[in-house]
Amino acid sequence: MIVGFASSIYKKYEGSTFQLLAETVSKAMEMANMELKQIDGLFYTYLPGTIEGKASLHFPSFQIPTFLGIKPRIIDSVDYGGPSALTMVYRAEKLISAGEIENALCIVGGKASFLRENRVTVDSVDRFFGNVSLTPFDEFYRIYEDINPVTDYALVAKRHSKLFGTTDEQRALLAVMQRKNAMGNNKALYRTPLTVKDVLSSRVVSDPLRLLEIVYPVDGFHVFVVSKHHSKSDLRPIKIEFYNEAHWNEMPTELQDIVYTPAIESSKGAKINGVDAFELYDSFTITVMLQIEDIGLVEKGRAGKFVEDNDLTYQGNVPINTGGGSLNVGQPAYMSGGVILEEALLQLNNMAYNHQVKGANRILVNGIGGWNRGHSVTMVLRGE
Amino acid sequence: MFDEIKKRYLEMFESEKLPYVKCNKCGYVFYYPRDYCPKCGSKDLAVLESKGVGKVFSYTKFVNKDGKEVIYGIVELNEGFRMYTNFLDEVDIGDEVVVKYTIKDGRKIPIFSKNKPKKE
Repeated sequence: MIVGFASSIYKKYEGSTFQLLAETVSKAMEMANMELKQIDGLFYTYLPGTIEGKASLHFPSFQIPTFLGIKPRIIDSVDYGGPSALTMVYRAEKLISAGEIENALCIVGGKASFLRENRVTVDSVDRFFGNVSLTPFDEFYRIYEDINPVTDYALVAKRHSKLFGTTDEQRALLAVMQRKNAMGNNKALYRTPLTVKDVLSSRVVSDPLRLLEIVYPVDGFHVFVVSKHHSKSDLRPIKIEFYNEAHWNEMPTELQDIVYTPAIESSKGAKINGVDAFELYDSFTITVMLQIEDIGLVEKGRAGKFVEDNDLTYQGNVPINTGGGSLNVGQPAYMSGGVILEEALLQLNNMAYNHQVKGANRILVNGIGGWNRGHSVTMVLRGE
Repeated sequence: MFDEIKKRYLEMFESEKLPYVKCNKCGYVFYYPRDYCPKCGSKDLAVLESKGVGKVFSYTKFVNKDGKEVIYGIVELNEGFRMYTNFLDEVDIGDEVVVKYTIKDGRKIPIFSKNKPKKE
């Protein structure tokens, strides 16, 4: 049972990454009404360059517990970026129900400002630190000029338009509706009204993707506390009704087509009828469009029309990214999994104030990430 | 075996030949070198030379740090495999492109262009 959660998000946090983590952990522990000494399970994820600006951390499994002062009986890391947060919470629940642990801390985040200021992202970290590999085929893959992951998603958006006639306006409309959701979310960095024209007149970063269709990497952590004991928490008991992960190991060039994601596979069996809101990984506008199709809200190729025909705001008929998503909250340490999971929990606990979906009781969360969209996790959370 | 295929690829680049791998068992063709067939698992593979002609599968344009426009994308070769590449000139999805070679960090690498090589 999730008994506590918290986030700390800054455009730039001046202090140390560990300090930022500790700050977030204490907020989550406070909500859980628990003490750190009760934590016996630790789950974390970590991406190069996001902790103290180091290319790599030697044994985060030592560094995180020693800084926080916790003594877990079980430590596990999940390292496929975006969707990792969802997996951590699920595995914590499984270990708790198996009787292995009682109270787990799940950690996702870091500082993106260091890489951002050096004009790279996690997916091009090799061009900053050197001596980092991205694929086993770097001698043949990393020899070309790109700005991944933006260029990679731009290739998908371009092909989606070519195959299905998806327009720039349709993607822009999605960004506009997410901004409407963000306007009531005090956690969002971007809360001013936005129009389709604003999105279309923002700078083309990698055509067809424009600046306002791309997440802004920020500093921050999300922490989730999962426990066997629910009594001390004010949160509503929430059940993981459905969980499934899918991992595609192909280079995207070897997929049947690049317009598909492993969400097709991870969402198989999830009942989307009666879902009150969808929190879909939004690294880019096109990422959300792909998931709208791949989780089965509409058939492949029809997401553009779907965006036009439906109201995706928190008061709409198909609420999607009800807090504005990462496009408006920012993307802590190049991973949006914490953002979408936290939003689902806020909704289910009726804590979303000015962006609350009325009576939200079942929420589908889908995370996409890791290297080049290779990993997807689908989760349906339900209030008890 | 992986190392041998890699070495063969790099040698072929130097002599301006575009390599790919074909599985002798199931016929699957792929570009990024592995010593097993990703479709059927067979280790009976052949490194072949592509004719270097294909079509643009997708592309994107961006302006790099030096202010220069760069075109990046995926090309599907007529033999059936795809690879990431830069394009030397303006392209659209479906356009026919041919392989050229450019020097990167002291070695030759394949890159694609719409312009056919001039007959000498």
